[in-house]
Amino acid sequence: MIRRTIQQRARILLGLLSVASLLLGYTWLSHRQHKDNPKDTTIPSWNQLAEGVVKSIQPNKLSGERWLLVDAKATGYRLFLGLFSGVAGSLLIGIHMGCFPKIEALLYPSLSFFAKIPPTAAVAVFMVMAGLGTPMYVSMIAFGILPTMAVAIHLTVKSFPDELQFKAYTLGASHAEVIWTILFQFVLPKLIETTRLMIGPAMVYLIAAEMIFGDVGFGYRIRLQSKLLDMSVVYSYLALLAAFGYLMDFALRRMELWLCPWCRQH
Amino acid sequence: MNSIALECRGIHHWFGDKKVLWDVNIKVGRGQFLSLVGPSGCGKSTLLRAVVGTHLPKKGKVLVNLAHNSNKMTRIHGPGRDRGIVYQHYSLFPFLTARENVALGLKLDRTSIPLRFFQYLKWRQLRREHLQLADEYLEKVKLKDAVKLYPHEMSGGMRQRVAIAQALIMKPEIILLDEPFGALDESTREDLQRLLLQLYNQNQASRKRNRPPPYTLIIVTHELNEAIYVGDRLVGLSMYWNWKENGHKTCPGAAVVYDKASPVFEPHEVREYEQFERQREEVRQQVFNSNHLQAVGKHVTYWDKMPKSTL
Repeated sequence: MIRRTIQQRARILLGLLSVASLLLGYTWLSHRQHKDNPKDTTIPSWNQLAEGVVKSIQPNKLSGERWLLVDAKATGYRLFLGLFSGVAGSLLIGIHMGCFPKIEALLYPSLSFFAKIPPTAAVAVFMVMAGLGTPMYVSMIAFGILPTMAVAIHLTVKSFPDELQFKAYTLGASHAEVIWTILFQFVLPKLIETTRLMIGPAMVYLIAAEMIFGDVGFGYRIRLQSKLLDMSVVYSYLALLAAFGYLMDFALRRMELWLCPWCRQH
Repeated sequence: MNSIALECRGIHHWFGDKKVLWDVNIKVGRGQFLSLVGPSGCGKSTLLRAVVGTHLPKKGKVLVNLAHNSNKMTRIHGPGRDRGIVYQHYSLFPFLTARENVALGLKLDRTSIPLRFFQYLKWRQLRREHLQLADEYLEKVKLKDAVKLYPHEMSGGMRQRVAIAQALIMKPEIILLDEPFGALDESTREDLQRLLLQLYNQNQASRKRNRPPPYTLIIVTHELNEAIYVGDRLVGLSMYWNWKENGHKTCPGAAVVYDKASPVFEPHEVREYEQFERQREEVRQQVFNSNHLQAVGKHVTYWDKMPKSTL
């Protein structure tokens, strides 16, 4: 039978197995590469990777900056602001589209149109509109995730049973209370889930924009080090990006359990 | 004191070419438990929606007596807290526990968004009071131990009990039940029917103390035995009536073809179907039989048998 539940111990063991296979596979690849060319930097050994991490953490000889610190600060700030703006905008637009058919008729065609434009392809437009600073990165992430998120929230609002809406009115709710007290609670799990799904695309947009226009940030550093074929830094940055995304996802999952306890028990 | 809690006056409704309701006139006295029955598609739910105010009638009006001590009837223009509703499905908010569901009405009706934000301490105090009152109502419907459960953790019967408590706590002028026990098993259904009879008993007790009865109820059901057992008045809505006699070429919609008192039962009394066999057969014939087209009004005699002072 499919979808049969497994024991927690088995789940943990399988998870560890997948990580171990990944590490073993990498070790074997790196070893094979270094047998042919001991100075190879394309698939660095574990020692080279450690050197890369140290290089990122220690102050740079030329600029005196700790790369990892300045890059993480810049990328984190842009990502947070971009996600926050996108989520807030999607919530406002999605809820109002779901509640008011006139707003739905007005915005749905434009949202469907914008949803088809990859933000990375329109990076020059964002640069022209918002300049080269933080607003460009923020608007790129926000506009990148907004159409999909707004439509997801709009559909969730539309799935809210009419009976519950009528009942809310018979219990004395005003229109604002139906929207912000009842519907908001109903869409909250969906909002958090969609935000979790949007972390990946948001990172893609940001890293791409940083690679093209950045003078600091993860994307900028990865591009620079890739050109020098210094993969020890690139790989450590990639690992850090993955950890960054995983931590955000973990925090959102915890937030969902805390704010939406009824989902925990489903 | 006006004893009429709700009045449907000359209600007509149609959807495009499809005529649904024709000149529906129903007065519901305060404290009455009115059962509304009729064949499938006769417009029971349409009438109920008109009373709730979510789908207003195309013609005619629904009036509610909002002031117990005056004769003034107020026309409704939309849903309001004076009319509580219990649906068959989606009866509870899935993201609230039983006690939060019951207390929701108090929160929405007695506080506002600005109060909850800007007078947080006052709101906390009120919240405590609301939850305490919700617990009392849950105890009334015998769900004292389920206060912290979410709807998906409750059985169908428990959910309907919570929904009834949710409506009762608001003390509305009238409570509307739209096939509330339709999806429940026989035993749970009987338990809940007895719960309604207990509410009716409280009405009787209030009358004896010369106080206005607290609960007025309309229950829409397709189950005839339930309709007779739970209500003290039975109203039949049907499209099977002699509309040709009224000069119509096609059926102008369902009309009230039956309106009579039904026997009142005690909650713990053993239900004997024989006791209402005669009325059941009468309703089957007058309301559900498509071959029996009768003149409207012949069996609409409830108020004729009431003292004039009650009108």
